[in-house]
Amino acid sequence: MTTVPQTHLERRYAALGLLLIAPTVLVFCVVIVYPLISAVYLSLFSIFTPTLQGEWVGLSNYQALLSTGEFWTSLGNNVIWTVGTLVLQIVFGVAMALVLHENLWFRALARSLILFPYFVSTVVAVLVWKWLFNDLYGILNHLMIVAGLIEFPLDHLGSMPNAMISVIIVGAWKYFPFVVIAVLARLQTIPEQLYEAARIDGAGPFARFWDITLPQLREVLVVIVLLRAIWDFKEFDLIFLLTGGGPIIGTQTLPLLVYKEAFALNRMGMAAAYAVVMMALMLAFMLIYIRQTRRRES
Amino acid sequence: MAEVVLSRVRRDFGAVTAVHDLNLAIAEGEFVSLLGPSGCGKTTTLRMLAGLEFPTGGEIRIGGRVVNDVPPAKRDIAMVFQSYALYPHLSVADNIAYPLKKRGVPRAERRPKVERTAELLQLTPLLDRKPRQLSGGQQQRVALGRALVRDPKVFLLDEPLSNLDAKLRIHMRAELVELHQRLGRTMVYVTHDQLEAMTMSDRIAIIDQGRLQQFAPPQEVYHAPANRFVAGFIGTPGMNLIEGTLSQEGGAWCFTAPGLRIAVGQLTDDAQAGPATLGLRPEDVTVGAGPVSGIVRVVEQSGHENIIIVEIAGNERLTLRIPASILPRTGDTVALAPDATHAHVFAAGEAGQRLNTATARPRPQTL
Amino acid sequence: MRFVRRIFFNLAAWAVVLAVAFPLFWMIVTSVKPQFELFRRPPTFLPDTFTLEHYARLLIDTAFLVYFKNSVILATTTTVIVVAIATLGAYSLVRFRYRGRENLAFLVLFTYLLPSVVLLLPLYLMLVRVGLSNTIASLVVAYTTFALPYALWLLRSFMAGIPEDLESAALVDGASRLGAFWDVILPQLLPGIISTALFTFILSWNEYLYALVLVNSDSARPLTTGVVNMLVSAFNIEWSLLMAASVMMSVPLIVVFAFLQSYLTRGFGAGAVKG
Repeated sequence: MTTVPQTHLERRYAALGLLLIAPTVLVFCVVIVYPLISAVYLSLFSIFTPTLQGEWVGLSNYQALLSTGEFWTSLGNNVIWTVGTLVLQIVFGVAMALVLHENLWFRALARSLILFPYFVSTVVAVLVWKWLFNDLYGILNHLMIVAGLIEFPLDHLGSMPNAMISVIIVGAWKYFPFVVIAVLARLQTIPEQLYEAARIDGAGPFARFWDITLPQLREVLVVIVLLRAIWDFKEFDLIFLLTGGGPIIGTQTLPLLVYKEAFALNRMGMAAAYAVVMMALMLAFMLIYIRQTRRRES
Repeated sequence: MAEVVLSRVRRDFGAVTAVHDLNLAIAEGEFVSLLGPSGCGKTTTLRMLAGLEFPTGGEIRIGGRVVNDVPPAKRDIAMVFQSYALYPHLSVADNIAYPLKKRGVPRAERRPKVERTAELLQLTPLLDRKPRQLSGGQQQRVALGRALVRDPKVFLLDEPLSNLDAKLRIHMRAELVELHQRLGRTMVYVTHDQLEAMTMSDRIAIIDQGRLQQFAPPQEVYHAPANRFVAGFIGTPGMNLIEGTLSQEGGAWCFTAPGLRIAVGQLTDDAQAGPATLGLRPEDVTVGAGPVSGIVRVVEQSGHENIIIVEIAGNERLTLRIPASILPRTGDTVALAPDATHAHVFAAGEAGQRLNTATARPRPQTL
Repeated sequence: MRFVRRIFFNLAAWAVVLAVAFPLFWMIVTSVKPQFELFRRPPTFLPDTFTLEHYARLLIDTAFLVYFKNSVILATTTTVIVVAIATLGAYSLVRFRYRGRENLAFLVLFTYLLPSVVLLLPLYLMLVRVGLSNTIASLVVAYTTFALPYALWLLRSFMAGIPEDLESAALVDGASRLGAFWDVILPQLLPGIISTALFTFILSWNEYLYALVLVNSDSARPLTTGVVNMLVSAFNIEWSLLMAASVMMSVPLIVVFAFLQSYLTRGFGAGAVKG
């Protein structure tokens, strides 16, 4: 609640508050707000990246973008990747949280091991997985052959739909710990009496999960899904490093397309247009998330 | 000089007004309670006195000086918080010493002052502990110590006893009263517990919905409540409030309700014939003989007295306090005699003002 | 019966946990195998011959140490700057009243969700124009774009958890606003600051995209792009060397995990879940 400052003291406090926030505002303006506006401005130009020379082209970048198949393909890939990896993250994450909530042997160690992929650098994660996926000497192909799942080594990253599946799986492996920790924190706040009451009422383990745990988790799951959806949608490092968008453009999502336009095809203005459209697409989710947070805070 | 004066003090939070044009003059050395239900604006008022909240209008004076623009540090006040607000990272000694340190008292002088305060509050063996190692009662004492160590002009206490268990609360109540007598400082005490306010205060300011309802000594608040709200709020069990009609018969006022008819004595010029509310304290009705008859519905025995609920005509229920020697049974029909000299009359409606001219009971005589 | 079920549950759960951790296990195993052992069929799960030769080569023959040093400077500088600014900012956002405060808080949340690729191009142009490209400083500037909103949001939540009465008590006891901040709030906020600093450090340590675009010389390259470069530039991919590099790159992380994990979990609770 903001009231109009009245007393001298209140005004002095407000001034101090503004002084303390000033560095933040300054940095925000220089490195975020200004670039954000100039991104939109850039998208109205045709710019050759190496020389950074350009000319005004108005909305024609957007026109071109919407009429090219590559944009739509990338958007499609982006949706497939986001939904695929998100579903795996949530399902696996909730399941793992439930397991870690139980009285597991060496629970702290198990938790650390589960948590680690989330904090490890994407570069490390990708290098390790590339080695696991290696078609000739990769352990994955070896294990799959031993298990009788496949007869010949698979090309995990170089062909479709394997590449997309691989990317989705690595994404799920890297980011599901986020879901685990978030859900685990919420699980620990569910009062034990609820379960005792349910047990007295004769509810089995499944009914207890369905009628108590899940409703209690609903709110935090909404938050997690929104947040992860936003973050997965804009993921660049993991996909770029794993497949580079390939084979051809089989796993190319919008962030990769932006990068390619700007630094491989040297069309900076066009790339900016792609970035702006991508942000516009994400805006809906971002606004929903912000509204959610606002509601929870008031 | 440490009187505290609030003139037309107002506090708005957006469209909500927490405190309406409050006028309050607290004399030097007085112990005043701000009493009211939760959310009535009493804590906001105290925080405005402390300088932690800012009045939207009006003037606050402490010791003759207008302090609206004075930061808390320079108001020469001390405050005890409901949560105690002890600094968790400092030891008890450092907690108590903090106000001295902030006022530039040299280290060498701090130590004896802290020790004296600790002794006063029996905290000496705890001086090196951290707040989280203390019990609730001990934490409360440290909070008090932090306020006492500096000898400020005015003490502000925000429900300091509400987090203690019942027994400790009664003990600390007595200690606070003694402390006040010894120090002779102005104390402003916020509470929602009427028993605390009644037992400790020189005067009580009763506040409801941001408005001052009555500002008077405990006896007066009890025996001459200024309006229906105060009448209903003060006293346990609460005053019986009966809706009825006021009429004038041959120059004398008379109150009638179904099955009840009472001559109510002298009323003010504001009194009008028509609807009104009658207030009867539970102890102001005798049971045994009388003009009113009712059926006993509930009997509660508490040893030294009995509380009974009696239903009279018109489904009106009266709560009565009777001697332990009289023990009716549920379902008995009893005769009641309301004490007309102690009957309170209020104008009609929720906010009805007191209409009696006299205090129902004489002020207690000094021994 | 109960006991058997418990054992079964534990075994199953641990099988899954170990499967999740397997890639990391495999990374370490590969890094200590001699090159020839990698190509053995069937593969050995524990190295037949234990060797540290890849680590030695990594440190001596490659630019790894330069990258490592760059990453340390980069992540430390970013963390110090961002946490300092964000601590003051969070104090202001939580404990002061002024016009636009709420909107500012939600601008912070908005930027926290903003995709890097949108800011990437204008930042690139800006940094080229002011002549900062190819320096660690350019990356510090770029990292601020995601680290500052993140740190602010996290610290704001930590700050909100400190009882307001503590500050009020300090004010009544004779402190100024900044005095109360220093004496009372900062000590209470310390665990939150450590937690935020760790997250910011890890975030900066792991960043890839900005480093890829903004720095194109070995002298300023951080570990992420540096190590990937080793992969790209090598004619024959030396997996053992890469795995050794991956392990070394994760060392700071392992240290944090071993000693400061509670701070990480706390940061999770504050930033992600509570919003």
